This record gives sequence, C-alpha cells and structure tokens, in this order.
Amino acid sequence: MIKVSNLKKSFGNLEVLKGINAHIREREVVVVIGPSGSGKSTFLRCLNLLEDFDEGEIIIDGINIKEKQTNINKVREEVGMVFQRFNLFPHMTVLDNITLAPIKVRKWPREKAEAKAMELLQKVGLQEKANAYPDSLSGGQAQRVAIARALAMEPKVMLFDEPTSALDPEMVGEVLAVMKQLANEGMTMVVVTHEMGFAREVGDRVLFMDGGYIVEEGTPSEIFDHPKHERTKSFLSKVL
Amino acid sequence: MDFRFDIIQEYAPFFLRGVLLTIGVSIAAIIAGLILGLMIGLGKMSTKRLIRLPFEWYINFFRGTPLLVQMLLVHFGVMPLFFAQPSATVSLIVSLSLNSAAYVAEIFRAGIQSIDKGQMEAARSLGMTHAQAMRYIILPQALKRMIPPFGNEFIVLIKDSSLGLVIAAPELMYWGKAAAGEYYRVWEPYLTVAFIYLLLTLSLSKLLHYLERKYSNQ
Repeated sequence: MIKVSNLKKSFGNLEVLKGINAHIREREVVVVIGPSGSGKSTFLRCLNLLEDFDEGEIIIDGINIKEKQTNINKVREEVGMVFQRFNLFPHMTVLDNITLAPIKVRKWPREKAEAKAMELLQKVGLQEKANAYPDSLSGGQAQRVAIARALAMEPKVMLFDEPTSALDPEMVGEVLAVMKQLANEGMTMVVVTHEMGFAREVGDRVLFMDGGYIVEEGTPSEIFDHPKHERTKSFLSKVL
Repeated sequence: MDFRFDIIQEYAPFFLRGVLLTIGVSIAAIIAGLILGLMIGLGKMSTKRLIRLPFEWYINFFRGTPLLVQMLLVHFGVMPLFFAQPSATVSLIVSLSLNSAAYVAEIFRAGIQSIDKGQMEAARSLGMTHAQAMRYIILPQALKRMIPPFGNEFIVLIKDSSLGLVIAAPELMYWGKAAAGEYYRVWEPYLTVAFIYLLLTLSLSKLLHYLERKYSNQ
C-alpha cells in the first residue's frame, strides 16, 4: 500500500529524517511512537506531501508521489488525514465541513455527499451535531467530526497525527474508540501517537522512531514486552 | 462673528454636485482599488522572488510617496500620454485607485496570512487544489477579518479625494474652495464641506460596522 525508501528531510541545517524505510500493507494499522523531535510527525506529513522531502521516494498504491507526472491532489484524495488540532473549517457547519470535499473534489451530487456525511456522523455518534458550528463542539467531538470529514472522501489510507494530544484526558477515549472501530473495519492506518495503550491493543505493527531513524519495529508485544534496543527500552521506561 | 448662511444656500447646488462627484469617485476608486489590490496582494505572496519583486515595489512606491505627488504625476504626466484633454475626474479616480490598491494589497495579504496554516493543510489533505482551498476555506475566513482595516482605508480614501482640488476635479472640496474664493470667507464654506465629509465617513463606518456584525455571527 505504502512503500517508503530512504526518506530524508531537513529543515535548514537540521536533518529531521535521516533515511526512513517502511512498508505499510493494506488493512494494516501501523503505530509510530517515539520521543518528541524524533521526526515522527514529519514522517507522517511526508506521506501526503504536506511536507516536501529532500531524498528518497514514497510509493502509494503504486504511484510515486513525487514524480513530475503525479497529480498530488489525486493522491491526497485517497489518503485521509486527521490533525492534532482538528483543523475543522470554523465558518461552516459540521455537515458542510464533511460534504465540501466530496462535492468539490469528488464531484458528488449534494444528496449523495449529505447521505454519506450523515452515515459517518452516526458512526462517530454525532448525527445531532450536523448543523452545529465547530466552535460549539468539545475537543473530542471536533476530532470525531474531523475523522468523519476525512472518511467522507472514502480514502484507502488514513493518517493520524497525534489525534488525541490536544484533548482533555476525559475525551481521549471517545476518539480512540472511533479509531479502534475503524481499524476493526479493516482501514489501513498510520497513527502517530503517545497513547501506548492504543498502540498495544490496536496496532498490528509498531515503529519506534528516534533521532530521525526508525530504531526498531515489530509487533506490539515485541516492542513493548521485549524491546531490543537501549533507546527503545529507555523511552518505554519513561512513558509506560 | 456673523455666520452667513446665505452663502451656503447660494452654493448648495454646487455642493450637491460636488458631493455626488465625491461619492462617485470614491465608489469607483474603492472598487478599482479592491480589484487591483487583490491582484497585487496575490502577486506579493508568490513564492517566486522574481514575481514578487515588482509587486513589492509597486506597494513601496505608492505607500512611500505622497498621494498629492502621485495625483500630479498622473494628471499632468501620465494621462496626457493617452488623452489630448485629460479629464481631472478620471485622473482623480485613477490616482486614488492606484494608491489605495497598495494599501488594499497589504490588508489582503495580512488577512490571508492571519488564517491558521492548519486550515490550508486540512483543505489540501482532502485533495483540494490550492485555488479551491483559497476560495472555499481561506478567503471566506480572511475577508471577514479584513472588513475593519478595509473600512479604515476607504474612509481615508473618501477624505483624500479632496486632493482633487489641486487638479481641478469638481468634487466637494473644489466647490468649497470656489465659494471661499468668491466671497473671501473661510468659516462658512469650509465648515460646510467638513460637515459633509463627516456625514459621508460616518455613514460608511456605520455600514461597515453593520457588515462586521453580520458576518461575525456566523
């Protein structure tokens, strides 16, 4: 589904990704963990080219996303993204937030987009908020709407960039529950998170990043119960 | 001091003509300034330095030199190149438009850049093109924030239209000066003119206040 080879990226003199290789298979949930500044968010943002990279290549569904003839907008239609800070459109209702891209990008008729939106709102438990504005939502509700908005494009992959880091603790559960349900339905997901419980329970594979490298990868039990690298051990001892 | 209302009465028809011209010139210059300013603002936001440069210098020139000088250059320098007998009114509209476009461009740029980067990222991550993201996400939010500074700019523009006096564009101030010259009186014509400008600018600021409230409710 996604193949990343030798990905390198610098901000000015600071090299944040120093050669990342990763392979994400269809229907797989890959959780990326690591200390802040390890490059995990940058890695995720490179996957839909929100962040340009300097070297290496990323192939999504057989398409090299940085080749000249690639239309990045077409790639992004298939790659949903959920942000730490929700980034809902504040001047639109929840319903319009969700239907905008299907109508303008996928060229769906409004009825179809709205039916899809209501179905997704029901899935995330917020159908009664369809006509509310984002201002009136709690953090957890806003993030669930953001997930519905990304799903409305019917993407093949979903990227989550620390989706619960900006939430009050009591709202983390409701967002993780939605993500878990999505994983159970077979969505391919790449999740950058600090929620180790989620990583262990839902993740098929865990990547541990530090200092711009993937230091270690494996199943949750390999990483959490039998970490091989010193850095993995010391990170986990701090967060668990 | 006696205040001769008869002078005002006598000149009332001229003041009326003047104020209509002032309003017309201001509206035309606001519209032209907005359109031109939006294009210059977009140009200045280009990521390519070479494209940005001429727009930056446009703004530098029109913000950094007196409007009076620009007006004289337009009327006596530029317009004669195109017209045998340049109309002062047209010159006034052109110089006000060119000048206000520079300010509009900066307001426009600041408004767009004030919108959180995450909005553009969210829109692009959904597969929208840059133009779609601008049109549906960034501009609707930015325009709301631009209403107050645009209001200030347009109030300044209405007042600056009085400089049309020096190129003999028959706007409000021109007739005030004419009345002053005819009767050798200061208070009656200039206070009347001042009062009419005040009415115009106050009405505009009320209108903008209304717009601001209307759009902030969404």
